[in-house]
Amino acid sequence: MSQIDEAMLIALVDGELDEVNRRRVERVVADDPALAERLEMHRSLRARLTGHYALVAEEPVPDRLRALLEESETVVPIARPAPRWRNWAMGGAIAASLVLGLGIGRMSGGDAGPIGMRNGVMVAQGPLAKALDTQLASAQQGAAIRIGLSFQRKGGGWCRSFDGAVAGVACRHGEGWQVQQALPGMWPGTEYRQASSADARVMATVDALIEGAPADAAGEKAAQAGGWR
Amino acid sequence: MSFERDLLAILPRLRRFAVSLSRDRADGDDLCQATVERALKARDQWQPGTRLDSWMYRIMRNLWIDEARARQRAAKTFASEEAGENVGHAGDRDVEAHMALSDVDRAMQALPDEQREAIALVLVEGLSYREAAEILGVPMGTLTSRLVRGRGALLELMGEAA
Repeated sequence: MSQIDEAMLIALVDGELDEVNRRRVERVVADDPALAERLEMHRSLRARLTGHYALVAEEPVPDRLRALLEESETVVPIARPAPRWRNWAMGGAIAASLVLGLGIGRMSGGDAGPIGMRNGVMVAQGPLAKALDTQLASAQQGAAIRIGLSFQRKGGGWCRSFDGAVAGVACRHGEGWQVQQALPGMWPGTEYRQASSADARVMATVDALIEGAPADAAGEKAAQAGGWR
Repeated sequence: MSFERDLLAILPRLRRFAVSLSRDRADGDDLCQATVERALKARDQWQPGTRLDSWMYRIMRNLWIDEARARQRAAKTFASEEAGENVGHAGDRDVEAHMALSDVDRAMQALPDEQREAIALVLVEGLSYREAAEILGVPMGTLTSRLVRGRGALLELMGEAA
């Protein structure tokens, strides 16, 4: 226990350990129930904060903030005003409905956001669980949650990466999805996608888990039809 | 691609950061507005090709620190015996704001500024330690110790329910 301090534990949760140290910490934690409990507390704290503030990023941006940029843009020579705001308004409507959906999830489930805790494990719930179950990467125009890669993990079982209010990787476990990693997502900033730190870290998790190559469209469809077994 | 449109695209994330730093939504949006205004004025200082979001986070964080210091000064100047809970705040507005606050908001507000900004950048915005340390202008070791202390405090404040 003494060889793993709190900083190492949270670095693991934050995805800041390299492969060698990550394995080392995980090995020690596996043999130390007290440490494992502490790790779970940190995982859950991170998921809770991420989920809590994710709701803010999903709200439509207040008019006065939008107006500030709109006005500024019209005084710049290369301004092209109108069409974009219509798209944006539509995004706002989608965002509003998503917030509503999450709100209902909170009232009935008692657990806010797309990720809940079950027996100390992060699990997908609500719209995220549904997207993981049913959504195909080849057909998801306009979806609030985007599925990235579907792949088989080492030792067997399906995993899928996702991006939305929360980004990360989830793996099939029984009838549900265990969330392996949860980071604040990029949506709804998707029209302007810089390589984000979330992207790089989701890819690192995929790399660490994946066996062989990710499924192509046909493979993904077949796996979905088979209930991800 | 215009500067304004790039800003608009990251505005939802900037609002998220602002709210996680601020007392409530209204303060968060005020901070967000001040940040956008500052950025539009200083747009020539942004170097295309570098991360616009990091640049914006830095502007916002600096404005927030300035404002927090001003509020502390005002609190010292005007504090009377009834100050206690309401240091620097308008009482009515506090009651209203608190009604809409969850235990996450309250726990975040109870953190010292330097811990709150570290937690906000890493746990709320999902930045790497390196990116967060750069924005805050502190060494990595300082950032990680703030993250450790901040999380310890949050776990305590939020209880086992976390």
